[in-house]
Parts: sequence; C-alpha cells; structure tokens
Amino acid sequence: MTNSVDIENVSLVFGGEGNNPVLAVDTINIAIPKGQFVAIVGPSGCGKTTVLNMLSGLIPPTAGSVKRNGKEVDGPSRDVGYMLARSALSPWRTAIRNIEMGLQIHGVDKQARRERALELISLLHLDGFENSYPSQLSQGMRQRVAIARTLAIEPDLWLMDEPFGALDAQTRIKVQGEFINLWESSGESSVIFVTHDLEEAVLLADRVIVMTARPGRIKSDTLIDLPRPRVIDELRFDDKFKEAEHRIWKELRDEII
Amino acid sequence: MKSFDADLSESSKNVTDNSQEITAEEDRFDMSLILEVPRWKRVLKAIDLPVQFVRIGLLALIIWAWESRTIFKGWSPFSWLGWDYALFPEIIPLFQGVPSEAGEFLLEIWDDSLFWSDFWVTLQEALLGFLIGSSLGFIVGLLLGSFRKAAKVLSPFLIFTNAVPKIALAPILILWYGVDIASKVALATIIVFFIVQIPVQAAVSGVDPDLDVVATSMGATQSQKFRFVVIPGILGPLFGALRLSAIYSILAVVLGEFIVSKRGLGQRLLSETNNFGMSNAIALITILAGLALLFNAIIGMMERRFLRWQDTEARGKVVSL
Repeated sequence: MTNSVDIENVSLVFGGEGNNPVLAVDTINIAIPKGQFVAIVGPSGCGKTTVLNMLSGLIPPTAGSVKRNGKEVDGPSRDVGYMLARSALSPWRTAIRNIEMGLQIHGVDKQARRERALELISLLHLDGFENSYPSQLSQGMRQRVAIARTLAIEPDLWLMDEPFGALDAQTRIKVQGEFINLWESSGESSVIFVTHDLEEAVLLADRVIVMTARPGRIKSDTLIDLPRPRVIDELRFDDKFKEAEHRIWKELRDEII
Repeated sequence: MKSFDADLSESSKNVTDNSQEITAEEDRFDMSLILEVPRWKRVLKAIDLPVQFVRIGLLALIIWAWESRTIFKGWSPFSWLGWDYALFPEIIPLFQGVPSEAGEFLLEIWDDSLFWSDFWVTLQEALLGFLIGSSLGFIVGLLLGSFRKAAKVLSPFLIFTNAVPKIALAPILILWYGVDIASKVALATIIVFFIVQIPVQAAVSGVDPDLDVVATSMGATQSQKFRFVVIPGILGPLFGALRLSAIYSILAVVLGEFIVSKRGLGQRLLSETNNFGMSNAIALITILAGLALLFNAIIGMMERRFLRWQDTEARGKVVSL
C-alpha cells in the first residue's frame, strides 16, 4: 500500500536569488502511512510550517522529493486540507459561507455545499451561529469555523499548523476534544499536526516527530502507544501519557534551552 | 458573575458533584429587560430629536441672516454684533443674492423645459465621467495592485500624469473632443480615474495575505482569488473613493462647461453671474450640490448593502437599556 506522504531527502533554501540564502529545512525524511496522526514539534523557526507549505503544494522543495499517495506534489490539490495558525476567515462571509468556500472553489453546487456545511456546523457545535460574521464570534468559534472549512472538502490529508495556539487553555481542551473525535470517526485520513505544545502533540498523535532548531532536521521520531479513542480531558492525567511526554521532552529540551 | 459567552455555556454544564451552583435562578439577569424595549423608543433614540431641532434652528438662522441683509437694510444678527463687514466685506447688495428670490427661481425653472435639458446635459456628462473613470480606475488599480512587475513598469507614467493639474488639460480636451459633452466627460474621467485607481491599488496590497494563502491552498484560480479574496477585501476603500469621485465628477463637468460649452448647468450658472443674477446663481449652485448629494446617497446605499459585515463589526456589541 502506498504511503499517504513520502518526504525523501528534502531540503529547502529561502531567498535563493542573491541576498543571504537561509537553509530552512535540511535533508529530512518522513514517511506517513495512510490514516496516521503525526505531530511535529520543534522550536520556533525550525521549518515546521515550511514542511506543511511544501506538502500543500504552495512551495516546491529546493532538493529532494515530496510525494502524496505515491505521486509527486506539483501544486495545491483538493485532497489536502490546510489550516493556518490564524483562523484566516473571510470577514465578509458568514460562518456557513466561510465553511463553504473550498467547496465553492471546487465548483460544488449550492445545495450540496450547504448540506455539507450544515453537517460540519452541527459536528463542531456551531448551531445557531451559521449566519454570524467572524467579528461576532468568539476566538474558539472562529477556530472551529476554520476547522470546518478545512474539512468541508473531505481531504484525505489534513495539514494543521498550530491550529489551537491562539486559544485560551479551557477552550483549547474543548476544541482539541472535538477535533480528535472528528478525526477518529473520519476513517482513513492522515494528519500532520504542527505545534509547539508538546502536551498537545502527545495527547493527539500516534507519532511525534521532534525537529531541531534551524536548519530543521529530524531529531527524533517516536510512536505514542496510547489507546484510541482517546478522551483528551482525562488522558492528560494518565501515567503512561506523562511518561511518554517526559521521554520526548528530553529530546526537545536540548533544542530549546 | 455569569458569562454570556456561548463557548463557555457548554462547559458550565459539566459541574462536578462537590461544587455547587453559586448563582441562584432568581439572581440571574433577566434578558426580557432588553428584548422588551418598545420599538418606538428605539426609533426615537435613532432620530435623536434634540440634534434635529438644533440643526433646523441653525439652518433657519443662516437663511434669516442672509435674507435680512437686504430686506431689513442692515438689520441682521451680524450687523447687530457689528460683524457685518467682517463676514461680507464690501459686497454690493446687487451681487449678494437673496434666498427668497432663489426659491422663486427654483419654482419658475421647474416648468422650464430648457432648464431640464441643461440639467440632463450636466447629469449625463457627470454620470458618464463617473462611470468610465471609476471603472477604468478600478480595473487598473486592481491589476497593478495584483501584478507587482506591471506596477513597477507603469508607476512613473501614472505618477507623472497624476501630477498634471488636470484642469490645465481642459482647453486641450476641448480642442480634441469638441465643445459638446465628450470633452467634459473626458475631463471628469481623468480626474475620477486617479481618485479611484490610487486607493484601489494600495488596498489590494493591504488585503490579509493569509486569505490569499488559504485560497491558494484550496486550489483557487487567479480569477477566483479576485472574486473571493481581493475584490471583497478592497470594497471599503473603493466605496470611499467612489463617494469622492461622485462629487469630483460634477466639479469637473461644471468646470469644463465654464470654459466652453453650449448647454449645461455650469454654462447656465456662468451666464447668470455675468448678468448679475445672483439669486438665480445661488439656486443653480444649490441644484448642483443637490445632485452631488443624490449621487452620494445612492453610493451610500450600495455601500451599506455590500459592506453589511463591516456594519456588524462597527455596531457596538454592548447593549444599553
């Protein structure tokens, strides 16, 4: 079976034309089987987001090859959902029309768009706020609208770039729980979840990759052996969880301190 | 304190056994207090009567002061304060005009078909100038804002053309396009073009780059990006520019008519002042201002329709009783 993602000997240099080229990502290799939830952690500026940008087809690698489902990535694809750190909602679109945006771009007809959006609205507990503009929503709701927009196109690869970084501690626990439930019931979707929060990475993922400070290399790659489905708000007090987090923290600590 | 945040209302349900409800049912805020404010009270608040009274009073005072300068021979609030010649230095009463005569003139020309054909000429010139100038300004601004290389090539030409005092072009435009409406439309087009093009171009680079990244990652084509990201993102500055353009298009055609023309309100205005018809001139100026206000109101209506989302942003989120 082909992997969902194959990153082979990939390097990326920024600012190639003349002024101070910067090596952002240095010869990384990641293979992700279908249906795996992978978290990438690392210090700021280690190239985590760059990896997502390459996978989403926004930028090509300087060297090496990036493959999705066995095929070279050559631009954005409708099988990939990319969620940015900031919710990046269109302020002029209501919640439901923001959720529909990807479907509209792909030419899905109005009726089908609406049905899919309403489905996500109820899955993410946004009922009653369909016709609110982003400025009328709380931060947590905006982030959930952004999740819904990302998943509306039913991608088989979810790229999440610190999606919960802007949320307060309590809202974050709630949205993490909703998100993991969505993924666990989604079937074969693979997730690459970039975060600077190790606890979040271990709580959600099957596998945690630690990247080094710039230039980004892979420092460690650890499988998280915790049962699913996971109950996020309880799991964080579990001894096995704490042990796993501590093990990876030792790797990460060297990069930060 | 009880939060109304819908986000937290869910989690507040999960109260654990040993904690207790702090707020008793009867202590909670009664939402009906807000919902029951009667409609007429809200309408009255929106109209704000004291402000309206002061406005009408002020207008009456201005008209009365103006009128009384000639009718009551020197007795006006201004002469009474000794400010007469400070405000209106050495204006011969003949050159001053009176509001009541201007009003009479307005009634007279209402039935005058010649006046209406002049009105139509000016309206046509201003509308055409506005539509052509703002459309071109919008398209060029949009393209130059989106394609940096093209902007780099063309910017010196645009900066120079914009630096030309446009009125200086009027005599040339009349030679090129003749004394009829075409030359006035051309002048208004040039003036309006820059009023729209410059802010639109600037606004394009001000559109949130994250929205562009999101659209690109979803596989949006260039034209979809214009439709879904760029154009909605620049509507605010665009409408600001259109409001200005509406007023400037009228200014441009009146100026054009002053220079050479056969018909139009500007032409009529010039001949009235040449014949010392000051009251009539005031009436015509009022009509021109009214036309500009009408343009402005129509654009304002479109703005409210297209920028409803900004309205909800600006409207205070705090409810006051």
